[in-house]
Amino acid sequence: MLAYGFAQRALVGGVLVAMVCSLISFFVVVRRLAFVGMGISHAAFGGVAIGLAAGIDPVVSAGGFCAAVALGIGWFSRRGRIHEDTVIGILFATAMALGVVLVRLAGAYNLDLMSYLFGSILALSWSDVAVIAVLSALSAAFILLFFKELLFISFDEETATASGLPVRFVYYGLLVTMALTIVISIKLVGIILVSALLVVPGAAGTQLSRNYRGVLVIALLVGVASVVLGLYLSFLWDVASGAAIVLVLFAFFLVSMALSPRRAYMQRLRRRAR
Amino acid sequence: MRECRVGEFFTGPTDGPRQVIILEDMWASLDGHSVLEGITFSLAEGTFLGIIGPNGAGKTTLIRVILGLVKPDRGVVRVMGLSPEELKHELHHIGYMPQQVLFDPLFPVSVYDVVMMGRTCCIGTFRFPRRADRDAVMRSIDAVGLTGLEKRPIGELSGGQQKRAFLARALCLETRILLLDEPTSGLDYEAQENFMGLLARLKAEQGLSVTFVSHDVNVLARFADEIVCINRTMHLHGKPLDVLGSERLKDVYRCEFDFLAGVGTHMDSKE
Repeated sequence: MLAYGFAQRALVGGVLVAMVCSLISFFVVVRRLAFVGMGISHAAFGGVAIGLAAGIDPVVSAGGFCAAVALGIGWFSRRGRIHEDTVIGILFATAMALGVVLVRLAGAYNLDLMSYLFGSILALSWSDVAVIAVLSALSAAFILLFFKELLFISFDEETATASGLPVRFVYYGLLVTMALTIVISIKLVGIILVSALLVVPGAAGTQLSRNYRGVLVIALLVGVASVVLGLYLSFLWDVASGAAIVLVLFAFFLVSMALSPRRAYMQRLRRRAR
Repeated sequence: MRECRVGEFFTGPTDGPRQVIILEDMWASLDGHSVLEGITFSLAEGTFLGIIGPNGAGKTTLIRVILGLVKPDRGVVRVMGLSPEELKHELHHIGYMPQQVLFDPLFPVSVYDVVMMGRTCCIGTFRFPRRADRDAVMRSIDAVGLTGLEKRPIGELSGGQQKRAFLARALCLETRILLLDEPTSGLDYEAQENFMGLLARLKAEQGLSVTFVSHDVNVLARFADEIVCINRTMHLHGKPLDVLGSERLKDVYRCEFDFLAGVGTHMDSKE
């Protein structure tokens, strides 16, 4: 299948996206940002619609719009007057409604929109891959450069603040990084399914390891393997690639749960082996 | 590793013990509500200061003012001779332990990782821990008696061991001042005794200045050199025996203390 150019592009783009998503999924799981991810990704629909209506590249408009929504979620929830999940519930429905209205007004209700909802990785061009590569590099750089700060803040924000860390900058940085990652993931699995990529690798990792180093390695393996296997299966059975990737992710999660050292029968097995 | 330069910060008269924390007529508010009014006290180097007061008295806010996290409305705050603005660059001399670290017990970090977090500001942005950082972490873990447990996930430790890990995290910098916000809350009697014994030993060994917030009068009566009693305003400041023997303590707490042989015993509270 790699003889085809579209398959090569899909594989390169998919693996890049999987790697960044897996890195971020660690913080999504330990900081419990799964619903934030859902909110930002659904808001991307509004961003895409703005792009389609205004005639600019939907990736650019969605990137800007998602970053704005992410910052909005962060700002409202940090002020502490409204709960984070309430803010997300309000913002993501509003952004999607805005998307529906704009698409109708612009007369752009077409197949293009469906590809944003469910992904269109097989339609990637090399310039799309380049955009993915640049944004992936930016997101990964943020996570890696601020890793110890992110870890400290996720574990114990109060002490992190007291020791003089730039807590607000790092928190908003993580949200914007999530927004950018979501925008590039939309090409891969689509708005509806992107939260799986942001949650499952980290969730599988925390099932199998009790230290963040192990969690990160497992998350990366699960993320990349799911994308590669999902793409292969979608090619083999001629099914939607985004859906295939998500189903493979879920299969990996089930396996990680079954093999988790936290399970009682795994503890019995280990004891017997000793 | 950054040099400890505490001595350079102090200015003024050098005779007598140096004051590591000075508050003069300090007023602070949260969300427009006045929380602390006219707080004045100082902490001499190497002293164990207990801050007592009922719930909602502003004890935690006081700690946050000292750390520079809450800006006072008026008054003077000096820590190691530095203003809160200047202190921002010298926070590695202050070890802080919050009231309750509400962490996820499944959070995938080991004791070693948690203590290393304390050194984050020393390591610096974009840098990895170096040998000096790793050594400092292991020394702190050893000092609190958790050697051998450093690779254990933090969630698997007992409550008392977790508190000791957080104390190690507060100690692994070039710590001169410890700010502890009810560090023994949630511990049973034995774990509390162990923790206080450890703290007293570390204070003596390392010459630390300790500010210890608590509403447990028993503990402070035995370990503190001085006690400040606050309930929005400052009510009492003095040696434990004087403060705990004072009639005014009853007014502050609205309850009785059975004062016997230097130990205050909490009697039934009268709301």
